[in-house]
Amino acid sequence: MSGGVLATARCYFEDVELDVPLETPAMTLTPAHVSLFAGVTGDPTLREPGVVPDLLPLCLSSGLGWRVPRPPLAVLAFMGFEWRFIEPLSVGDTIHSVSRTLTKRSMREGGVVIEERRIINQKGATVQAGKLTLLVERRPTA
Amino acid sequence: MRHPATWYSSRTVSADDGMFFEDLQLGQEFTSPGRTITEADIVIFAGLSGDYNVLHTDAEHMKASIFGERIAHGLLGLGIEQGLAARGEPAAAHGLLSALKWKFKGPIKIGDTVHVLSRIAAKSDGPDARRGLVTVERKLVNQHGDVVQEGLTEHLMERRKP
Repeated sequence: MSGGVLATARCYFEDVELDVPLETPAMTLTPAHVSLFAGVTGDPTLREPGVVPDLLPLCLSSGLGWRVPRPPLAVLAFMGFEWRFIEPLSVGDTIHSVSRTLTKRSMREGGVVIEERRIINQKGATVQAGKLTLLVERRPTA
Repeated sequence: MRHPATWYSSRTVSADDGMFFEDLQLGQEFTSPGRTITEADIVIFAGLSGDYNVLHTDAEHMKASIFGERIAHGLLGLGIEQGLAARGEPAAAHGLLSALKWKFKGPIKIGDTVHVLSRIAAKSDGPDARRGLVTVERKLVNQHGDVVQEGLTEHLMERRKP
């Protein structure tokens, strides 16, 4: 493979910096997002038009997190999270997320990172927020 | 879980199946139908979420991992859990979330069949007299009986009018 620097760059456990806010680009919530989410989750209660499923913004924020000015975090496993739903969202709203690392703890197979994440709407209000626990790969020894 | 009052939105679970906060019993249990997780589920979720981590998308890379193959996104499993739960419970017990606390305990692989076990774990007063707070303990279980995900979800639910 001829992968260049960009293709292979990853943020390893050692590279994670504490308390540095990372802000993602924004994304407008569309009926297509809701339809795809309703289809893949199979939730029969997601029928009201214009209503954004509770879990959809968090799912979108994980992809938006790949578009910050830092290589993608080398996540080995998503271990768990605590989340709160503060305000409902509607189709047409535009969200982005801001995250920062609260703690990091070294483990044998990698390191555990606790990240605080907020999802923010177009008015600047935090609509969902919580803490995510991630197992992150160590930098491979060459 | 303890939550400051600001965590509660004004939303409530719709009581359109005639169930209210008072109708759910502490300790009441529900079992959902099963669902087999497919490669297509993972591909669609990667496309929707934009999360193309190699864990979910690179079969060759994953051969050398501890999982040996691609695994489903944790949040895909949780979304499917919510979808399955909605098919196995009265609307009252799953609807809109006010908070959740969740653990991803093991991988969901392509071809695994999962179902949900839910139990009403707590009932308490909501932020106002109109609504109550229901805490549901949930487990996502695979075909081997392993709990692959588990946690608590909290829902605001309308009380029966006096």
